Amino acid sequence: MAHILLVEDSPEVSMSVREILNSAGHTVEDAGTGKQALTKLKAGTFDLIVSDIWMPEMDGIAFLKEVRGSGNKIPVVVISGGAPNAPLTYTAPLASTFGANVVLYKPFEKGELLKAVSSVL
Amino acid sequence: MNGEAHSAIDRPQFASLLESMSNGAIAVDSDRTVVYANRGALGMLGQRREAVVGQAVSGAFRVFFERAQSRTAADRLARFEHFYDGNWYIIQVFPLLGADGLSETPYTIVTATDISERKKREFEFLEIAAGLEEATRIAEMGTFKVLWGSLAIQWSPHAYIIHGVRPETYHPGGGNYAELVHPEDRGFVTRAGRELVEGKPVANLQYRIVRPDGVVRWMRMDGRILFDSSGAGYASFGTIQDITDAKQREHELQELLKRNAILYEALEASPIGVAVLTAEESGLSMLYVNAAFERLTQHNSYSLNVDGLRALVADGDRDQWQSIADYLTRSEPGSFDASCRRRDGTVFPARIELAPVRDYPGREATAFVVNLRDMTSDRERAAALLQSQKMEALGQLSGGVAHEINNLLQPVIALSDLGGDVLGKDTEKARKYFEVIGGSGRKAREVVRQVLTFARRDTPQLSAQDVVPLVADAVNLAAKGLPPQLDVKTDIRLTEARAVISATQVSQVMLNLLRNASDAMKGQGVVTVTLNEETVVDGAPKLAGLKPGRWIKLTVQDTGCGMDRDTLSRVFEPFFTTKPVGKGTGLGLSVVYSIVAGWGGTISLDSEVDRGTTAVIYIPLHS
Repeated sequence: MAHILLVEDSPEVSMSVREILNSAGHTVEDAGTGKQALTKLKAGTFDLIVSDIWMPEMDGIAFLKEVRGSGNKIPVVVISGGAPNAPLTYTAPLASTFGANVVLYKPFEKGELLKAVSSVL
Repeated sequence: MNGEAHSAIDRPQFASLLESMSNGAIAVDSDRTVVYANRGALGMLGQRREAVVGQAVSGAFRVFFERAQSRTAADRLARFEHFYDGNWYIIQVFPLLGADGLSETPYTIVTATDISERKKREFEFLEIAAGLEEATRIAEMGTFKVLWGSLAIQWSPHAYIIHGVRPETYHPGGGNYAELVHPEDRGFVTRAGRELVEGKPVANLQYRIVRPDGVVRWMRMDGRILFDSSGAGYASFGTIQDITDAKQREHELQELLKRNAILYEALEASPIGVAVLTAEESGLSMLYVNAAFERLTQHNSYSLNVDGLRALVADGDRDQWQSIADYLTRSEPGSFDASCRRRDGTVFPARIELAPVRDYPGREATAFVVNLRDMTSDRERAAALLQSQKMEALGQLSGGVAHEINNLLQPVIALSDLGGDVLGKDTEKARKYFEVIGGSGRKAREVVRQVLTFARRDTPQLSAQDVVPLVADAVNLAAKGLPPQLDVKTDIRLTEARAVISATQVSQVMLNLLRNASDAMKGQGVVTVTLNEETVVDGAPKLAGLKPGRWIKLTVQDTGCGMDRDTLSRVFEPFFTTKPVGKGTGLGLSVVYSIVAGWGGTISLDSEVDRGTTAVIYIPLHS
């Protein structure tokens, strides 16, 4: 079982993702923005990050850059709803470039997320 | 009387002498008694001989006699002219000599010749001569005479004046005249001069001279032949007239006619309908309509003259036409969009522009130019632009919409899974899942509705609505498609402001303006949207050309790169863009312009390079 940092601005998405992860026995800490997530990452120890991309203040890509830029090799699963000003297909290569281990597109099934999480743990 | 004695003695002698004279003649003796009067004298006196002879000299002859006596000794024998009782006479008074021709007699002869007819002709001639001189002076005309025998040339004083020469220093004879003639005209003038002395008249010979002071003038020469009593030609006589002013006027007239013709053709060729109305005391009268105006309205100036512009009023648009009439009454320029009725009763959307024509600034207009444009094609084009802009915006938004819907579907799908897992075991949890699922579903439905509203093809129906929430919603909707680093601040100082608008159009206006702001700021910085009200007072300096009244003022201010004057002057042109290829269509602001115009509002841009741009929209407040 892992301790997971969930970075997601939409409360509904955050709730549903947390419930999936909880159902598999993982513990989850929420962050609404990339900035909050960075603070929580420094304060605690996590086994995995699950992060949205399009968020206010600091988006997922900038957050990812910060994490990898600081030398942190923690596994990251990116969950993307697509960027409003870019084609959906653009997100995956971008996230991979900046160090995402897996990219999932919303809306995804419970099984898809759990499979992705176990693949990187 | 002693006269009686003389007359008795000398009567036959006097009679034979005086009756031989064709004029009136009397003989008087030394004491002024008439000793004889001939028939002419009796006729002049209107008396019979018996009443005259033997009497003291009387009447006209007494006046003549005394006049002669009053003359000096040297002149006493000279003939003189005398005016008496309405007639002119030549008077001669002389002493009668004896038969030897030397000895004196006591008698004096007085003769009077009536020269009234001759005098009359003489005065007439003088009058004609004076008139002729005056006429030649007024006509800038001189006369000339060439005697064929000597080839001597005589010029009238005015002939010298119009040639700019003086009689003391210039003589027209001996080939001198050719030197005054313009070199280019010298040939045919010399030839005409030669032909004139050969007996051939000249008529309307037009040529230029160069005056000694270098001034070039146009002359006209007419010449005819003078004949002596035997019918032989002996001289040429004619006139030379300075026609420079007439030539100049003729030239100016030609130019004017040419220019008028060009202007007329230009007006006729104009694709814009042009009508000219003149202000008469009885009202406005249709002076002219061009071909485009006739084509657009199916009227001509004649059929329009009956009703004037009233003939064009479409029933559904009387208010707008009333304001056109008001502007005409006040002699103000203006631009109006109104429905225009053709002669066959069909209607088309028109733009009517009024321009008063004044003789002097500030005076009442004496005429109006009315421009008429058929806006059908423009409106159709604007509709097409609007649609393509919608499609573009839709593409832009689709990413945002997809993001929204994907996020909303995430809990729907995930919680459906989880809901199945916990169903019957944890009903409280299941209820919560389903609440979230339902909520997400309803939100997704709303997103889809907004997209569909935005993408609707039909013309938006304008209605009186509160602008405040519409602007707030439009900003929120538009912001979803903008980079998150762009901070859109709103400063709404109105609680409610109603205007005749369409919610969809408000969204589109805000989206386009915010997107331009975002591009100008490279996706980051602060954009401020403000909404307040302004009142334009009648007589105050007009704000952005607004009519007096209450206006809603909507501004979108960015702190981006700004625009230079050239760019600023073209921003409302369709397809004008400063964005890289593929990034902008150049339709955004033209669509905004057409939408705002459709609300009866105005849009203007203030911009400064590197400082930013402010779009200012005025929308009429609906009361």
